[in-house]
Amino acid sequence: MAHTNATPLLQSLQLHRYLGTGETRTHILKGVDLTIQRGEYVSIVGQSGSGKSTLLYLLGGLDRPSAESAATSRVLIDGQDTSELDETALALLRNEKVGFVFQFHYLLKEFTAQENVALPMFRAGKLSRRDAMDRAAGLLDRLGMKSKATRRANRLSGGEQQRVAVARALANEPAVLLADEPTGNLDRKNSENVADIFQQLAAAGQTIVFVTHDHQLANRAKRLIVMDDGKIVSDERSATQG
Amino acid sequence: MIVFISIRYLIAHARQTLVCIAGVLISVTMFIAMTSMMQGFTDKFIIETVESSGHITIHDEPRQSQTPILEMHYPGTDGVLSLQGTKPRDTIQKIKNPTGLMLQLQQMPGITAAAPVVSGDAIATYGTKTATAAIYGIDPKVHLKVTTIGKDMIGGSFDRLETTADGIVMGWGLASVLGAQIDDNVTLASPTGGRSTAKVVGIFQTGVTPVDYSRAYMIQSSAQTLLDKKNIINEIILRTDDYTQAREFAAQIEGVCGYKTESWQEANANFLKIFRIQQIITYVITGSLMVVAAFGVLNILIMAVMERVNDIAILKSFGLSRNDITRIYVVQGFVIGLIGSSVGLVCGKILVELLRRIPIQMEGLVKADGLLMSEHRSDYIAAFCVSMLVVLIASVYPARRAAGYDPVEVIRGAH
Repeated sequence: MAHTNATPLLQSLQLHRYLGTGETRTHILKGVDLTIQRGEYVSIVGQSGSGKSTLLYLLGGLDRPSAESAATSRVLIDGQDTSELDETALALLRNEKVGFVFQFHYLLKEFTAQENVALPMFRAGKLSRRDAMDRAAGLLDRLGMKSKATRRANRLSGGEQQRVAVARALANEPAVLLADEPTGNLDRKNSENVADIFQQLAAAGQTIVFVTHDHQLANRAKRLIVMDDGKIVSDERSATQG
Repeated sequence: MIVFISIRYLIAHARQTLVCIAGVLISVTMFIAMTSMMQGFTDKFIIETVESSGHITIHDEPRQSQTPILEMHYPGTDGVLSLQGTKPRDTIQKIKNPTGLMLQLQQMPGITAAAPVVSGDAIATYGTKTATAAIYGIDPKVHLKVTTIGKDMIGGSFDRLETTADGIVMGWGLASVLGAQIDDNVTLASPTGGRSTAKVVGIFQTGVTPVDYSRAYMIQSSAQTLLDKKNIINEIILRTDDYTQAREFAAQIEGVCGYKTESWQEANANFLKIFRIQQIITYVITGSLMVVAAFGVLNILIMAVMERVNDIAILKSFGLSRNDITRIYVVQGFVIGLIGSSVGLVCGKILVELLRRIPIQMEGLVKADGLLMSEHRSDYIAAFCVSMLVVLIASVYPARRAAGYDPVEVIRGAH
């Protein structure tokens, strides 16, 4: 399917998600409609359990709507309806279009920082091994991690690991960067550092959607979405980037 | 990328990887050594038996039973037939027209030689010692075409049977029981009353204890006299161009000659059954070792999967599918199996050579001066393939378990 710039980059239609089974079954998302265009810098805030992380995973194709709402719930990534994709095709779509950053950095500790960044490129198979490693080195350099490129992931500090995770998320030049509490596990200085990186990326036109409890970080985004009890209760665009 | 990740995981957990490889290696090594030992014993028995006794033996037992005389005269009668006062005919058991039969059989494809034998038991006496001997009356030159007994001589010569009047060649076991040596004269007595004295002109050792402790060869005419079987041939021994096909040939020949025809497999069926049971036991034991090794691989891979749940989540988040995750762990199993099996084959070969060199005097069903080791390429191939297969099967469960993790659940669990 060919897509124009007018096609929303991410779109959710009547998105429902239940978690748990039996008596513990909880209705986490209650019919969320959301559209995110290219180049937007979006923060999602809300109390714990409001469904913001669940929404993020669904928007990135890491999760699927619950079976009982499968007929009506839709997630479209760059115009592609994810419900039409099998598990392998959805994985390829994630590889190509989406970059994830998580609160806990989730680097593969047996690999160097550079290899961690190169892995999504190896998966995509568009670059030679050497070119992928070169591009990984370039991304780490861009994020101030050049000197630590050959260091094992488990020998990096928390802030450094998160920067490597951001570099990895950017490896395949994704259409959207989705971050779930990217500063949640960092001290103030490293949080500011990551926030600055996001700011620079957004300024360069990278679409970013992130979930946070950090209001200072949230307020830097151009669009602030507030969630409560599985619904979007507020969706505001600021005139200037914070 | 799959191989890259798999290898890196294996290297990162070198100790566990080495334990897995060692398990596979030991099981393959033991498989090679044990099957080689068992096969060596079996091969020795089969080769020596086949070579010293011939591939096929035709006995003097007619296969077609004679039709009862009353049925001949009243065919198809439903009534009760009774014949009283019958006297059984005194029939002499022998193979009729053995020369003609041998000529006919030698024309058959696959039959390379035929030798007539008159056989029977006799009591051999030397001094105060006596032993039962299975006397084989033969034509030495012809007999050497169907057996390799001439190559098994450890004293004297098989050819001396032709040049020495009343010569006898006996197994070393029989000679040792009697205490007889080359050129000693032993006395022979048959159950039918025949007696003769024979000079020991040769002693052989086939390595097959039952043969070495009982068999003795004499010139055919002397044996016929001793056994009271004048001009009688009661066995014909045949050699084929492929001893493994002896059973098929025997069935075919029996149809042609009408006498009971036994292949070496049928003649030694009891021993072969024992070997088969031993072989099965060997495979069960070595197979169990492989299964234990596979459980080791299974266990360590499951641990590895549980340790790397977060890795699996992140790999899925940047685009690896369930199949990719499965492959990562199956490749690890494959590498462990490949290294373990390959090194195991080399270690197995080394162990076989070491065992071969251990000097152990063995005397049971076969006699040998050391462990009998017999290597077959098929055993090496089987050890490699089975261990690879077992390890791969063992890696499938952890691989599928890894692939089944929901990345979102993993990430939520970390929150």
